Amino acid sequence: MAKIIPKIFRINTGSCNGCDVEFVATAFVDKFHITSLNVELVDDVKDANLLVITGPLTARSESFLKNALTKLRKPFVVVGVGTCSVSCGIFRDSYAINGPIDKFVAVDVNVAGCPPRPESIAEGIAKGIKVLEQKLNGEVIPKKIDTIFSDFSAPASFRGRMDLNADMCTGCRTCETVCPSTAIKISEDANGFIHKIWHNSCCYCGNCAYFCPTGAIFSTNSFDTVKLQNEKYSDVNVSHIFYDECTCCGEKYMPPSRGLLSKSYIKEDRNKLNAAICSKCRKEENFKRMYG
Amino acid sequence: MTQTQKITIGPFNPELEESVYFKLEADENRVVTHVEIINGFIHRGMESLVTKKNFMQNLILTERVCSLCSNNHPFTYALAVEKIAGIKVPLRAEALRVIADEVKRVASDLFNLSMLTHLAHHHELMRDTMNTREHMQDLKEIIWGNRMDMSANQLTGTKYDLDEKKIELIIDTLDRVEPKLRDLQERYENDEIFREKTVGVGVLPYEDAIEIGVTGPVARGSGINNDVRVMAPYSLYAYRKELQPKVTLREEGDVHARAMARFGDILEAVRIIRDVVADMPEGDTYVEKRPHIPAGEAVVRTEAPRGELIYYLKTDGSQKPVRMRWKVPTFTNWEALKVMILGDKVDNVTMILNSIDPCISCTER
Ligand code: SF4
Ligand code: SF4
Ligand code: SF4
Repeated sequence: MAKIIPKIFRINTGSCNGCDVEFVATAFVDKFHITSLNVELVDDVKDANLLVITGPLTARSESFLKNALTKLRKPFVVVGVGTCSVSCGIFRDSYAINGPIDKFVAVDVNVAGCPPRPESIAEGIAKGIKVLEQKLNGEVIPKKIDTIFSDFSAPASFRGRMDLNADMCTGCRTCETVCPSTAIKISEDANGFIHKIWHNSCCYCGNCAYFCPTGAIFSTNSFDTVKLQNEKYSDVNVSHIFYDECTCCGEKYMPPSRGLLSKSYIKEDRNKLNAAICSKCRKEENFKRMYG
Repeated sequence: MTQTQKITIGPFNPELEESVYFKLEADENRVVTHVEIINGFIHRGMESLVTKKNFMQNLILTERVCSLCSNNHPFTYALAVEKIAGIKVPLRAEALRVIADEVKRVASDLFNLSMLTHLAHHHELMRDTMNTREHMQDLKEIIWGNRMDMSANQLTGTKYDLDEKKIELIIDTLDRVEPKLRDLQERYENDEIFREKTVGVGVLPYEDAIEIGVTGPVARGSGINNDVRVMAPYSLYAYRKELQPKVTLREEGDVHARAMARFGDILEAVRIIRDVVADMPEGDTYVEKRPHIPAGEAVVRTEAPRGELIYYLKTDGSQKPVRMRWKVPTFTNWEALKVMILGDKVDNVTMILNSIDPCISCTER
């Protein structure tokens, strides 16, 4: 089996520089273990076999990226670093953006994050090297590669992958409104709401959690955002928020969430609110009770 | 008979943090006789994008103008919004904003210095600078949740608060970092290899600096103090005069002087953070989560790690800005590059570029 020396060249296609700064940290700070991968940073793209690409690919960069790609010798691997490189992230809707990069180059590994932690970037490079070895040896690229640096950890307060506690959520759409990179989509079907968080579009800013009135959406400290290209469109958090059926009239309605109730009724006995009854029937009942 | 060499650098080059393209002409001694700088690689159409997003989304989008001064942008944006809405921010929030800002300043300046020593091929100094910066990165990750983008600001205040334990962590980190910073400062000042590479290189004389209107450490390296925190204090700097930095001014105007001016900024930032956490005002951290923003217009300015940052904002009472425009520090400092590079060696070009701590993503947005 051929052993190769991974030769890294970084291309910035219009990043806000966060990803590039963190790449430098990954490359030069020992605690991120990149030296254990025996990589070499090369000065010229033509000597590289592992491309690290950051940024959403601005219109101006497109032709220069294409030109750089022609200089590479096969096989090589591409590791996209940062949410921008995966999906154009927060800049997606702009006239000046021609990305994401996988329109123009076959990407092998995606590292979402805005910017990703150096631990994730190191993991992305390690996975890139695995793919490179497999390409060189003519092996089939697997659908998934297990975590390579399993001893990295993150502080509890790290803003990582977002998650939803569905029975706290009322489908109010606040999170969708404040999300700067349109990573949240809420749709409706016969049974209730479907709440989706696209991790590859998310810029991990925590705006949704901050503005959510019920505390349903929250960030975990997971930095497991390094995925192979074939996982790109499946890395989505899908939750269902179901309607209740009114015990009175049989209509479907969205019940108030536990999160909201515990904010509104701090002292009162909440049991009496548990009656599964829609707001229309509740109004009628109250009217009868008071004036009937 | 002199022979002109044509040299290009970039746009993708490991010595350039961000993509930019230099077309140079040099004589037989590799002295630069002509400079052309081609930009636009980082243009993401952000002035248009901010008008498509609402005020809450823009808290985060402005943070992505540039990740190195990523606290300054939402901070200045919030100041502009608050000026239009006539909202007075609680004193505690002002204090929290200043802490976040100065922490970012230390980390940003240290990153620039590590890149500088990297380009000067002084690897030991580079690693020590980078490792010192890591303390600030760890601090940011623990308190704000991300090493670069802190998401600290909120319209009318801040999203975060500090309790006793977190304040202790900040003081602890500073106690560990400060001796290292002083040691580094001494080495940057006197190290012979570093001096040889940087002293007398990329000189920007005082007169040119005035004429071009450079700001931040670039101005201070050429003997000009136009630090906004001193000249037009805002936020907590306006309430508490003793917080205003005692800036380091250097006369030499070279790469070395700019590096040392940055060290002055770093140590003053450490002092400012200590002063603020020692005397935290009590009270709320914000006024309203989702304030109404009436129609209006505002201009505000702050001191980013690279110098003066100006925000212009126009609103019409709707949920989105009508217009938002920035004047970023690199915009003026960039012009000074031509003065610095002309007549210097080709091999110094990337180092001179680095010495203005260019933020191309801010400038081209
Ligand atoms: S992913 Fe985030 S940090 Fe990286 S370049 Fe894009 S906006 Fe900047
Ligand atoms: S997660 Fe929160 S903000 Fe989003 S729809 Fe549910 S309740 Fe509303
Ligand atoms: S953290 Fe929330 S608000 Fe921010 S980008 Fe991700 S989903 Fe959107």
